[in-house]
Amino acid sequence: MTFIDLLRNLYARLTDFFLPDRYFSWQTVIYMGLFSWLMSLIARGMGTTEFTVMLLATCGWFFLALGAGWFVEAAHIKPFGIPIASWVSGAIICVFLFGTLTDSWLQPALATWPLISFLVVAVPDLFGWDFQPKPVPPAVRQKLILLFFLSLLFSMWFQFYFRIQTWLDQYPSLASDDLHQSAFVYRLPGQPAPVAAGVSQLSTAETILQGELGSKPWSSAERWLANIDGQRQYLQQEINKIHGHSSREAPMWRLGMPRPVSLGDGYILNLLAIWEGPSAHQYGYYLEKTCEVMPVSRGNSVSRGDGEEETSSTSTLTAWTSLQCDLETPRYAGPPPS
Amino acid sequence: MPITDLLADFGVLPLRAIAFQSLLLMVAIALEALVLRQRLRLGYQTSMQYAATLNLLATSLGWLLFLTLDSLLPPDLHTQIISYVLFNRFYVNYWVDKIPVLVVMAGIIAFFATFWIKLQGLNLLLLLLGHGAISAEGEGQPESRQERYTMARQGQSGNQRGGYSPYTLAVLEANAVSFSVILILLLLQQVAGVRS
Repeated sequence: MTFIDLLRNLYARLTDFFLPDRYFSWQTVIYMGLFSWLMSLIARGMGTTEFTVMLLATCGWFFLALGAGWFVEAAHIKPFGIPIASWVSGAIICVFLFGTLTDSWLQPALATWPLISFLVVAVPDLFGWDFQPKPVPPAVRQKLILLFFLSLLFSMWFQFYFRIQTWLDQYPSLASDDLHQSAFVYRLPGQPAPVAAGVSQLSTAETILQGELGSKPWSSAERWLANIDGQRQYLQQEINKIHGHSSREAPMWRLGMPRPVSLGDGYILNLLAIWEGPSAHQYGYYLEKTCEVMPVSRGNSVSRGDGEEETSSTSTLTAWTSLQCDLETPRYAGPPPS
Repeated sequence: MPITDLLADFGVLPLRAIAFQSLLLMVAIALEALVLRQRLRLGYQTSMQYAATLNLLATSLGWLLFLTLDSLLPPDLHTQIISYVLFNRFYVNYWVDKIPVLVVMAGIIAFFATFWIKLQGLNLLLLLLGHGAISAEGEGQPESRQERYTMARQGQSGNQRGGYSPYTLAVLEANAVSFSVILILLLLQQVAGVRS
């Protein structure tokens, strides 16, 4: 018996929800929206003009926005006491207006969302059912003016957000820095900071160095290292050719190559990618890649079979160069060592 | 993982700017409402509404100006603004010596521009609300004989105000009070930012 009662109760609730007592209700409006949408589908199937389909679809979206707003209002959905009915209607209208524009519709939709929501609130106050402007009492006028500027401010905040994203697109390495000091922006926790462009520039420099030094005679490598400033300029040019046009931040990166330090028979060569743009550190920062340039006796190289015999016979040890660079590029704050 | 991906799509949010601006706006509106209420003898609610409207108007126009200027500035100065927004400091380039002067000048210009906008805004608001425009003088003057006597005894009279309407003086005073307090709050925030 109780189970039957439960079913009957559920049925009554469902019919109450979907079939309201009065025609003047949000359900009616939603059904009108669904009907318009169905009609627009049928119209499209029958191959009518684009205008008819668009008109029916527009009606559908309009009724959907109205009905959804009405439902939120009627159901008293007020998170934290804030009436959100107009925001829901405004969101649906924005999605409709800008959803048809395919590329990057999110930005105009979000930027106009507060203003459209304001219109949703204002139009019933300003116009009667016959779309004639109706007299507005001063109290309502004051409320609407205040609401307009508030929604304008919200819209500006959304646009500021998109402006920051534009900056980070133009200067991608900024996002790799520490944003804790900022008084404006906040990075949601748990997000990995992107990698600075200097890292890939250092990899390019390493590749070029391998071509210049790797498996060359040790004497030519020492000659190469003696003219370190000239080589730095050469590397900088090569890096600019590869990375120079990728973004607006390219001129803010500078390659540094201090004089190599001798270590045993060979040298330690440091490659620096120096950031000269905006940074959380007062004197900027630089990324460092440490490379070891070492002489290896020719006997170690397996590739030359007949050369080995010659070397051992004449016993003049001609050394070759091996270049090994660390994978990590640690970041150091402050001006680079000169 | 989809939640993390979604958050990563959001990127960097200007949440601190929104929070701090809301705080500054509330402080400014409360103070200006106080001044307007005392100077113009408006009700609590009316002065609050006027102050809120004027401040929201000025703030929105300020954002509009910032977003427009940001794309028009020379690249070197543009990156200085980015540096300040993202890292709360300026970095060393061609403009770094000129920035303190520029900031002070911008502050002074902002004060007078805001004053002018608030005055025009109040004028327009009163027109829209059907109170009539601000007359040059006369309105808001003490009406009763008794009050005129007390004012005369204190050495104040309509002429000594230099012919400015009480609305102009009220808006100027309100603007000065809110700008001073906002300046103090900004300095405090800067000091706190350096400490942490």
